[in-house]
Amino acid sequence: MTRKNACCHQPAGRRPFLADLGLGCAGMALGDMFAADGLWNRAVADERADAASIDGIPKAKSVIWIFLSGGYSHVETFDPKPALNKYAGMTFDKTPFENPVHSPLHRKRFRSVPAEEINVRDVYPTIFSMQVGWGKHGESGIEITDWWPHLAGCVDELCFVRNMWTTDNDHAAENQIHTGRHKLDEPQPTIGSWASYGLGALNENLPRYVVLGGPTRSDTRQSIDAYYLGPQYSGVPLEVDPANPLPFGKRLSSQTEDAQRREFQLVQQLNGLAAAEYPEDQDLRARIRAYELAFRMQTSVPEAVDFQQETEQTRQLYGLDQDATRAAGMKLLAARRLVERGVRFVQVFPSTYGVWDSHQKLKENHTRLCATVDLPVAGLIQDLKQRGLMEDVTVVFCTEFGRTPGLELRGGGKDGRDHHPNGFTVWLAGAGIKKGCVHGATDELGYHALGDGHYVTDLHATVLHLLGLNNRKLEIPGRRRLDIDHGSVITEILT
Amino acid sequence: MNGRSFKRLRTLFFIFTALATISVVKASSESIYLRQVKPILKERCYACHGALKQEAGLRLDTADLIRKGSNVGSILEKRGNDPAELVVRMTTADLSARMPPEGHAVTPEQIAQIQLWIASGAEGPKQETPEADPREHWAFRRIERPPIPTNAFIDGNRNPIDAFIAASLDAHGLVPQPVAGPEQRLRRLYLDLIGLPPSRDDLHQFLGDPSQSNWEAAVDRLLSSPQYGERWGRHWMDVWRYSDWYGRRMVPDVWNSAPQIWRWRDWIVRSLNQDVGYDHMISCMLAGDEFAPDDDEAGYATGYLIRNWYALNPNDWMRNNVEHAGKAFLGLTFNCAHCHDHKYDPITQDNYFQFRAFFEPIGIRQDRVPGEADPGPFQEYEYSVLRKIVRIGSVRVYDRNPGAATWFYTGGDERNRVADRGSMSPGVPLFLIPQHLQIGEIQLPIPAVYPGLRPAMNAALLAEYSAAIAAVDQKIQQCQAQSEQQTAKFKALNAERAAIGAARSAYEARFAADFAKYNGSPGADPVQLAEAASRIERNASVLQAEALVATREVGLEELKAIQNPDAETQKKIAAADQDLTTARTAVTEAMARLHDSALAGKYTPTGPEYAKSSTGRRRALVQWMTHRDHPLTSRVAVNHIWMRHFHSPLVASVFDFGRNGTPPTHPELLDWLAVELVESGWSMKHIHRLIVTSRVWQSSSSMGASSVNLEHDPDNRFLWRMNSGRMESEVLRDSLLFTAGRLDLTMGGQELENSQAMTTFRRSVYYSCNPELDGKNPLGALFDAPEPADCYRRSRSVVPQQALALFNSELIHQMSNVIAERLISSAEQAHPSAQQLLPEQQFAKQNHIVVAAFEQILSRTPSPDELRICTESIAGGMAVDSLVRVLLNHNDFVAVR
Repeated sequence: MTRKNACCHQPAGRRPFLADLGLGCAGMALGDMFAADGLWNRAVADERADAASIDGIPKAKSVIWIFLSGGYSHVETFDPKPALNKYAGMTFDKTPFENPVHSPLHRKRFRSVPAEEINVRDVYPTIFSMQVGWGKHGESGIEITDWWPHLAGCVDELCFVRNMWTTDNDHAAENQIHTGRHKLDEPQPTIGSWASYGLGALNENLPRYVVLGGPTRSDTRQSIDAYYLGPQYSGVPLEVDPANPLPFGKRLSSQTEDAQRREFQLVQQLNGLAAAEYPEDQDLRARIRAYELAFRMQTSVPEAVDFQQETEQTRQLYGLDQDATRAAGMKLLAARRLVERGVRFVQVFPSTYGVWDSHQKLKENHTRLCATVDLPVAGLIQDLKQRGLMEDVTVVFCTEFGRTPGLELRGGGKDGRDHHPNGFTVWLAGAGIKKGCVHGATDELGYHALGDGHYVTDLHATVLHLLGLNNRKLEIPGRRRLDIDHGSVITEILT
Repeated sequence: MNGRSFKRLRTLFFIFTALATISVVKASSESIYLRQVKPILKERCYACHGALKQEAGLRLDTADLIRKGSNVGSILEKRGNDPAELVVRMTTADLSARMPPEGHAVTPEQIAQIQLWIASGAEGPKQETPEADPREHWAFRRIERPPIPTNAFIDGNRNPIDAFIAASLDAHGLVPQPVAGPEQRLRRLYLDLIGLPPSRDDLHQFLGDPSQSNWEAAVDRLLSSPQYGERWGRHWMDVWRYSDWYGRRMVPDVWNSAPQIWRWRDWIVRSLNQDVGYDHMISCMLAGDEFAPDDDEAGYATGYLIRNWYALNPNDWMRNNVEHAGKAFLGLTFNCAHCHDHKYDPITQDNYFQFRAFFEPIGIRQDRVPGEADPGPFQEYEYSVLRKIVRIGSVRVYDRNPGAATWFYTGGDERNRVADRGSMSPGVPLFLIPQHLQIGEIQLPIPAVYPGLRPAMNAALLAEYSAAIAAVDQKIQQCQAQSEQQTAKFKALNAERAAIGAARSAYEARFAADFAKYNGSPGADPVQLAEAASRIERNASVLQAEALVATREVGLEELKAIQNPDAETQKKIAAADQDLTTARTAVTEAMARLHDSALAGKYTPTGPEYAKSSTGRRRALVQWMTHRDHPLTSRVAVNHIWMRHFHSPLVASVFDFGRNGTPPTHPELLDWLAVELVESGWSMKHIHRLIVTSRVWQSSSSMGASSVNLEHDPDNRFLWRMNSGRMESEVLRDSLLFTAGRLDLTMGGQELENSQAMTTFRRSVYYSCNPELDGKNPLGALFDAPEPADCYRRSRSVVPQQALALFNSELIHQMSNVIAERLISSAEQAHPSAQQLLPEQQFAKQNHIVVAAFEQILSRTPSPDELRICTESIAGGMAVDSLVRVLLNHNDFVAVR
């Protein structure tokens, strides 16, 4: 997909809609296959088109959603707080500021998964100094910390949202930022699933919603799952390995290409006979189409994650030549190749499960981890820019929560921070996003997101809006979504 | 301009444009009401101002009632410069007064429509009926057996299901499709009842005599096959949300469900095979410990509740118990009343907590299973302590804390406890059945309170002692045979023999003491028995300590006998020496305990002791649920059964029979089946038999030539044909293995890991089912395996990755090869090829292979076109295993026609 011949958005309305969709039977929704064939022309589908979820003209065609697992410290990354150094070692009530723990926001934005009688996380009131220096960068003069030397060169492309909050104070928050729901609530489809459900395909030979490097662990499957939308809208995990990128995605070596083609042709021929006998059988037609796609996916998927055509310069841009950055760089380069080929939503986990979780030795941990992602992420931004893709692709960079301004005392702690749902920072860049901008803030101590702040679903609403979808209209009958699930578009950060 | 006045301006703008539009089309007040206003009110207001509730004395469900206004008067009159109260309340910035109180505000566009309607005279249709009384909702009325339509029987078939179907087809002017061909029907029947296709022999047998009586014989045979229980067990496991243990599987750390939960799965399979009544099954699942307290199996059934257990938060456990007992058994969405009164059904928020109170006292206990080691007590959760995967023993629910309080809370958050309301008592919504609950405390039988006294446990332990004694005796005899009577080893064995014998005597004495303590046996003094048990047990521990000394002496001597011991051996000698000293000290200590008066009468009990009574709450609940007058339980159950036979339910909203659900397509049929279920003793096999012997179930799934049917009922709501389905993921995998003759039909036992599902060949129901990443096997993940969190209905997706799995997996290639070998050898037998075959012989052999392959894989003979195309492919050099793979990828393999 080059910018010139990029498909325009298909109307999302040409999607089959079954009356009983919401009752555990969202399957069969092969709208795009039918739409592409012109097969789906039932009145019911047209009716659905009227109520389409299209929300104005889309600004983005694809999304790269980068998630760092474990919770990076907002105050030591993108929301530096000099007051932490000034009041280091003091308790909150000794500072001139209002004690943040006494704010009603503290409880509102903090819901423990364990019952209160089982465990409530301690509040750590002793201020812990910033573990790194910081500086102003770019023309915008945005302050970020010294652990991001490469990203510092890109801040004029980025838009930071510094007043995010979530409610889970433990790592199920990783699922929460993707689904919008706390672990104790009913599960919901992920942001990627909604995007995949709401949008047509730009390239049918690739999955619409791809996951790289995840899910990070068996219990974070929810982060990529479509749940009641049906498995066809779940994220498809790919390995960045052209030899075997997708389970069953490659012909067995014991079989020749020719033999497989002949089998495939005979299947299609026999199914064609069956289709003549059952002319109205939508399932059968869908299956015939799926076989065509499957056959093509055997080459299109490996090609998408094959870097042979990439120049040495590009490889270096993503840090593929360095041990520390290679793992993240490969996933991010693959992400660029996938959006280039029309994948709608690429969810990238550059780091493994929970590694940013710095209860102890935060300095050591973040120094090392920032060095694994800083260069490749900056490389991605530059690469997208060079290729003119910043106008088609929105990049989101996030984590599940921030870290406490106070020093964690558990485990004899002296050098770490605990989980902190009350305030954290994410950034966005690319299509539809203001450049070199900071939106929102936490208080002087980095404790509370100020104002209403943004619950995680505001990020969803924003991304879906950029894709041309109206979050509120993405509804399945019988599956009630709450106001909080829909969130509100963060209009201030949009161009 | 502030936001509020901007909003007003926007509203004015919309009114203006709407008025402009109206003046053009001259819409009447009535049509504005019906098209624009009523839908808004229905969606946002009826819940509190309709039939369900009349807050402030206001109803908004007809134009007349709207004009009538509320307790304080008109809501449509303008007051000075302010708009009508109806509009004021919807637009006020004061959130505490704004209507509706929940959710987002009514949009400016909608307000404009409402104002327009008011301005146009606020008229509605002449005979507008208000919402019906919710208690009159079809699903809340007692089920009466409807008369069977008499004049609509087809083809002389006397099955009442067909009479109902025919009547509704007549009423809609639809023409039924003929009965499907015997091949198609037989495959459909096998896949439906046992989840496996017919073998070629079965197929030939039936094709030889496709009569009604032979059909019925096949039905009976399949219903009595053990594979029936596995097939239908999996269906019910979907509804009952079966899940193997999970939480943090990669750690591992058990947070949800239990590692012994598979005993509940086996109980389901067994109960279905024995045709245990549906009423009895759900009674055991919710209250087996109260219904049949001394039946271990009934205890396993409470796995239904244990599956919901969540280590970190008991409130979460309770929420799932309420929500899913409501949805699965009653088709009621109690969960909607968690934060506020139900918006559609007469279920109050109080009802929600009253329903929770049934479950409030429960806890989980871990029992020893006869013949297995003691698993010890159930590991309760302790923050940040890992919970182990315990594979032995069983788990069951019991009333652990009869006085546990059920606190009312607001906003769906247990931190908002309304303590001054006190504890909520158990109760059910009274509109459903005009009878009160009969909650009575249950005095539990001894073996339930004291599982060590279970007769089966006692027998198993005695058998274990006997076996241990026999084993030592055998060793002693060997020594004697080899004339080793003088050796230390022989002495040690004799000491061991004495110790085990003493241990058995001690166990018998402890059992007798426990038995007397709890049963009060006549002629025996519990105190004396306790003293005896204490004495014998302490004696036995001396003998055990002595046996250990003897054994260690032998070990030490053997080490010392080694010539020129190296450093390693010397280390071992030192250690053995130390061990011996420890063992000798233990003897001294054991001897001392013999004379310790403080220990008199004290002995190790044969097991833990639990509460002697149970609150009887859950028993009362299931008695209420399974009462003949309950309007929901049997309707919900037959709808689930029907859906799994027809791939489509009678009531589409399978877990919501309330007013927001969908009405049944065949209300009389649903009720007739519900009564039939109850009056047959809740026999599910009876319902299966009725359904699969009906004509409608056997009818063709093809559309046929009649355009009337397609025009009037394209979705086949009224069943003018059979629906076609797709194999569920389990059926697909099992059928693939079965077709290749590789399916292992071993039943039951601990769940297997999905990582083995492509290389081991047990039925799919026996592999782990959990919501984590490894919770589905690789085929299951692609073919819509159940989501354990919620799977009242399965989804049915078609994605390219399915095709890839059926083309490129090792498993499919392996099975294709196996099937191909069989086909070739069968063709060899029919057409021996000692010499070069003549061309027509070659052709006949190829034909044979193709026909056999179709029969084997698709349970049917090929059409002439299919036969020609496939034979040509073989003749053109396609390998037989390739042809097999092609047929496994044929739509007719995965489709259920």
